[in-house]
Amino acid sequence: MNAANLVIVLPAFCAGLLVLATHVPLGRLVLDRGIVFIDLAVAQVAGLGVVAADAAGFEGGWPVQAAALAAALTAALGLSVTEKRLGHLQEAVIGVVFVAAASAEIVLLSFNPHGAEHLKDLLVGQILWVTFDQLWPVLIVYALVLLALWRIDVARRRFVFYGLFAVTVTVSVQLVGVFLVFASLIVPALVVKVAARPRPLPIAYGVGLAGYVIGLVSSAWIDLPTGAAIVCALALVGLIAGLSFSFLRTPA
Amino acid sequence: MNRLVFTFAAAVLLTSGGAHATLNVFACEPEWAALAGEIGGDKVSVFTATTARQDPHQVQARPALIARLRAADLAVCTGAELEIGWMPVLLRQAANPKVQPGAPGYFAAADQVLLLDVPARLDRADGDVHAAGNPHLHLDPRNIAAVGAGLARRLADLDGANAAWYAARQKTFAEKWTAAMQGWEAKAAPLRGVAVVVYHKDWVYLENWLGLKQVATIEPKPGVAPGAAYLAQLLQDVPARGVKLILYAAYQEARAAQFVAEKSGVPAVMLPFTVGGTERATDLYGLFDDSINRLLAGVGTTR
Repeated sequence: MNAANLVIVLPAFCAGLLVLATHVPLGRLVLDRGIVFIDLAVAQVAGLGVVAADAAGFEGGWPVQAAALAAALTAALGLSVTEKRLGHLQEAVIGVVFVAAASAEIVLLSFNPHGAEHLKDLLVGQILWVTFDQLWPVLIVYALVLLALWRIDVARRRFVFYGLFAVTVTVSVQLVGVFLVFASLIVPALVVKVAARPRPLPIAYGVGLAGYVIGLVSSAWIDLPTGAAIVCALALVGLIAGLSFSFLRTPA
Repeated sequence: MNRLVFTFAAAVLLTSGGAHATLNVFACEPEWAALAGEIGGDKVSVFTATTARQDPHQVQARPALIARLRAADLAVCTGAELEIGWMPVLLRQAANPKVQPGAPGYFAAADQVLLLDVPARLDRADGDVHAAGNPHLHLDPRNIAAVGAGLARRLADLDGANAAWYAARQKTFAEKWTAAMQGWEAKAAPLRGVAVVVYHKDWVYLENWLGLKQVATIEPKPGVAPGAAYLAQLLQDVPARGVKLILYAAYQEARAAQFVAEKSGVPAVMLPFTVGGTERATDLYGLFDDSINRLLAGVGTTR
């Protein structure tokens, strides 16, 4: 039964690889800007877009995706302006966007509770329910995002950064859920900061990969809820890696 | 921790019982797992997808759900869209042709009984309404009897070698169940006509059976939390319409029911809702024993 479970988590593992590929570099940029909760805010605004589209009578499929993306990009545009204008207050702005969007969803849903299903699909994607068919469009979008990250100096181009981030998170949140998106962004980037080594990317990807593998295997082995198991594993790997690096760095 | 113990216990049961058990049953909810056990005995090996502490509308994705459905000979679910949030994905992931809806290995309890609350019109503005009718049908024991009979036939179809075994166990169960129902109905006579407020509309079958009178729901629409104006109206209705009890399920949050109970002085009663919902609801008999005891105790305190 346990070997069979490993086959079952294979699509989830591939989804994890895709998420890590984009979120590790983006997470480092997020941490440098000091805006760690931006993914939650962007995801919540994307959800607001879905609920609004639903209230306007659009249902399922492309219209919902378009509404989510449009809302996320609008939020990205707004946030890139506030970062320029308000600078160090950006984290506070992001927090307000998060709670306001989440609460506006609740208000809209009280008129039209049917949209709740779409909202849930969007915000609490479950990594175990992923199928290979779903991964192809994600692969294409992420390849373009990675290409942009590679060719453009995103750290200096504020609007490009926020736009890429909005697209990436809107996709990944539906695939694996907000908790896993947050952990994939922040944990590897955090370890790299603590490690302060000349070659950060291999460390970040290594931490992320170890977290996903340990989480997925333990989920398959003792039947834990998969997404939550991976988040816990990522946190644990991050903690151990962070501690090891800070020990190594301190002169004896 | 509990889940760990449970998983190991399940693994042990699976390996030790594997030689005898001929039929792998995947039960969507605890009540159908209990019923499959009553009728299948040791000819079936039953896995339960959800616990009594879980909202059956929503389920966390675990690998064993897919693995068990993949290996199942028979899936026993409520149907009527109750599992619509997770069963279709699970069926797709398991890719087991034996248990796809329409195949003999997919058994929906809702197909065996007449559903209540079938909406005359479907309007999404009315909330999470189930088009097929109210799916919480297991809280009327007469439905349990009907589903049990249908399940026994289905088990016999799938496992012809043991057809006589299923028929015999079904007969024993039906007799014992009828006797128990008579006992419950006699005991619950004081509950007839008692006005209740419920949190979510998942008690209609119990109310219909026992003659409880549902006056209002704490949720204005299924799946929507109440607003201030609605709650104020509700608090006026409770004394005005002689409400005696406020009911909520073990898997639901107690806060809304407790809030209304405190403001109105009417007791809030938590009911097991399904097998495993309370300590005493260890099987189908315990489920109804405990539900009726709790209802009677609740009515007793208001006198």
